Amino acid sequence: MRKVAAFLIASVIGLRVLAGAAQEGHPLTGTWSGDWGPGANQRTHITMVMTWDGKTIGGTINPGPDAVPVDAIALDVTKWTVRFDADAKGASGPVRISVEGQLNDIASAHRTITGTWRQGTAKGDFKLTRD
Amino acid sequence: MRWSLAAAAAFVVLATVATFAQRSAVYDSERQVRLEGAVTRVEWVNPSAFVFIDVRDGGGVVANWAVEVGNPIDLERHKWTRRSVRIGDLVTVDGMPARGPNRQALARSIVHKASGKRLFDMPAARPGGTGRAGPAPRWPDGQVRLGPAPGQKGYWATTGAKALVESTASNVRMNDEGLLANLTDADRVAPMLPWAKAIYLHRQRTQLRDDPITRCMPPGGPRQFQMPNGVQLIEQREVGRILVLMGGGNRNWRVIYTDGRPQGQAAEAVLTYYGTSVGRWEKDTLVVDSIGYNERFWFTNGGLPHTEALHLTERFSRPDASTLKYEVTVDDPRTYTRSWTGGWTLQWVPGEDIEEYFCEEGNTP
Repeated sequence: MRKVAAFLIASVIGLRVLAGAAQEGHPLTGTWSGDWGPGANQRTHITMVMTWDGKTIGGTINPGPDAVPVDAIALDVTKWTVRFDADAKGASGPVRISVEGQLNDIASAHRTITGTWRQGTAKGDFKLTRD
Repeated sequence: MRWSLAAAAAFVVLATVATFAQRSAVYDSERQVRLEGAVTRVEWVNPSAFVFIDVRDGGGVVANWAVEVGNPIDLERHKWTRRSVRIGDLVTVDGMPARGPNRQALARSIVHKASGKRLFDMPAARPGGTGRAGPAPRWPDGQVRLGPAPGQKGYWATTGAKALVESTASNVRMNDEGLLANLTDADRVAPMLPWAKAIYLHRQRTQLRDDPITRCMPPGGPRQFQMPNGVQLIEQREVGRILVLMGGGNRNWRVIYTDGRPQGQAAEAVLTYYGTSVGRWEKDTLVVDSIGYNERFWFTNGGLPHTEALHLTERFSRPDASTLKYEVTVDDPRTYTRSWTGGWTLQWVPGEDIEEYFCEEGNTP
């Protein structure tokens, strides 16, 4: 019983420490996850990794066999808006992805980007949260 | 019992918020508050002590206020102890109130109401060196010692300007926490890329409230030499390393290897708060090269940002027994348009050791 209690306490402390460890560098770098879709019942999961090399913000949507590379992500630091385009593989050719979003809570460990996601002829809202 | 634990937890959280948050973020220096009432409790704890008093307002309603009086180590140095005020004493407190709705204040003075005796004044900053210092102590082979002479003790404290600003900039006014007096000076603090300047200004405008120090994160980089309670440099020549022991922060330590090993590759480094440091002596100057920093901390007061590409070159020299000159060149091409250099001096505090000063894990706001 004591071991279980000690484990639970250690876990809680560990989680709090992790929760408090924000990434304080470039606000977009890291792994983000969330979803997009035209409505609450039609959501598509997104994982996105963004990098900053000092000149360009790069990215990958859904890393893995179906990864979609994003060459350049535009960040307007005067308004903290984010914009990027990419081409996903479609059954009959590339499908254009265009995204415009707002970076929120920039000081938070779990900051978010919300906005509009267009993929082919579909359009919806999206939310990404930094892991 | 349950209520006692809850109250204790609430106090610890309150105290942590109050003391490890930057004071500018917690207290409103533009306002003053005068509180009169009876002392109900004295909490003599690190990192900051509190006196609680019951204050009756004009309508007769009594509210308990938490009055921060500072770090116990500093207070005891100024002959103020946990028994300087007693439970039940009627006191008058002058100070600055917290910015939020909390009934909390930072004391400037506490006066015993009946006798008029001044019980407490906010300790002044540690004075700088007095008089002419002697030559820096040396090892038998002639190399300058960064620690005490044999048989003595002491440590280094930051006593002068301690904001990191590019050394070519002049008249950039900021307080000890790194808050600029004028935000238009941001461009002169360091040559920041646009994203970095935007982040820096955000941190400045929000009074540094998101400083990782408030969550007990370690003060990596130059910031370890900006913290209250100073640092000790322990030279272990027999094993080729120097230990930097921090009195502030979270009583952390850092290793500078001086055994001749090469610096590793940044891409292979395990990223940490204090990085990987190798040092070498250039005549009387210790030159330390450090890489491998994570991005979970602010590397200086005031919120200048950095990335994992941060590369620091620090230079330590001791022109006399009482002075440690600290200079750091910051190279982070993902954050700054070019490398830049700043620094300050630290003052020797003879005959004393750094003392315990913990920010307790888990007591995060």
